[in-house]
Amino acid sequence: MYKLSLFFKQAFPFIITLILWYLAIPFWNPAGILALIPIFYYTFVKPTKFYSFFALIFCFLIDYRCNLLLLWTFLFCLFYAINGFQKYFDVSRMDNDAIHIFMLYIGIGLLVLTMGGFTFMNLVNNLWLFSWLAILYTPINAVNKWIEK
Amino acid sequence: MNNDKLSSKLARIIKSAMAAAVLPIFIIYIMVAKPDYTIMNGLAHIVLPVANFAGQIVTWPIRAVGNGVKWVRETATIRSENEQLKRQLNEIMTNKYDCEVAISENKKLEHELNIIKASPFNSIVADIQFDDSAFYHTTFLINRGKKDGLSSGMVVVSFDNRLVGTIIDCGSQFCRVRALNDANTNIAVRISGTDISGFLQGNGKTKSSIGFFSDTQFVARRGLKVISSNISGILPAGIYIGEMTDEKHVDILKPNQISRVMVLQYNNQGSYK
Repeated sequence: MYKLSLFFKQAFPFIITLILWYLAIPFWNPAGILALIPIFYYTFVKPTKFYSFFALIFCFLIDYRCNLLLLWTFLFCLFYAINGFQKYFDVSRMDNDAIHIFMLYIGIGLLVLTMGGFTFMNLVNNLWLFSWLAILYTPINAVNKWIEK
Repeated sequence: MNNDKLSSKLARIIKSAMAAAVLPIFIIYIMVAKPDYTIMNGLAHIVLPVANFAGQIVTWPIRAVGNGVKWVRETATIRSENEQLKRQLNEIMTNKYDCEVAISENKKLEHELNIIKASPFNSIVADIQFDDSAFYHTTFLINRGKKDGLSSGMVVVSFDNRLVGTIIDCGSQFCRVRALNDANTNIAVRISGTDISGFLQGNGKTKSSIGFFSDTQFVARRGLKVISSNISGILPAGIYIGEMTDEKHVDILKPNQISRVMVLQYNNQGSYK
């Protein structure tokens, strides 16, 4: 039983990413974009072994589903490189699980999407996605922490 | 201890350097591989089915609950739906004989005018898995692929035989379809009941625009029916596309309005591709 719960704890980052990506719904979770929350959390805030490559694959899958070429994959690599090279701040020790860095991460992606095909509806839609991802960041990470305990 | 710290720092720098090295590769690839993106699509053909399979296994309890709720809801509404269907059936039966007469007259006219139309020899039903309309893009994935005999260029229609799009990328178990309002869509069309041809172009918005009519004097108006034409050799002729809403726009069927489609396979498939 102990081994099973340990396995579940270790596999949880991968499982939650897979679940959020797979359960895509056009309005609430388009292309499984909510998977970006665990992707960010387990890569930058609480780095997990072997997770980075898995996260890269899921960024690619989100891109493929919504025909975005390599937008989220590119952003992921960019943030990963910047985070690795700099010494000014430590994302893993920031307050509120570095939500402001996460908002910057998704904000840049959604801004590129908005500017790519600017219409009023596109702008509203991307604002909604930005707010929705920012709102869900804390509760989803609370679940992640609860499972870790 | 110091060695551990040093090695972890080194590992972190190596990983970051690798991530940084990938960035220019991505940029060059996006510029060079346009518009086919063969490597990216090829990779997705392998990764996507694997991830879908794993997703199906992991999410089965959630989907089971969702299906249960759906079943209860459907059962509750089945009586009213049955009555509605009966009413619709009565209306259809009243028009049935008029339609039969029109079909036979149409066949006779086609024979007299020597019109040869491509007709599908098979149609494959597919479910729409994901559409990217939430991002205001206009492609979608269907759950049938090369294994089911589908290939790029095939025509996708709705169950009321309205053109929805064409397949642009085909994996073994899924295909990506380009909808009519996609910015890359540019197909030959004909105004129904006339010889006037034109071109339908997608613009990423909800209505596609039509123009470049073969008759320069022709003034399009609201209510005209638009069907596909085979003059550009891309689509078979005669598939209903939509109705004109004004002199420039056509009300087309969008992927987020439907959940299931048919892919048509033609006898003369090689010639219209």
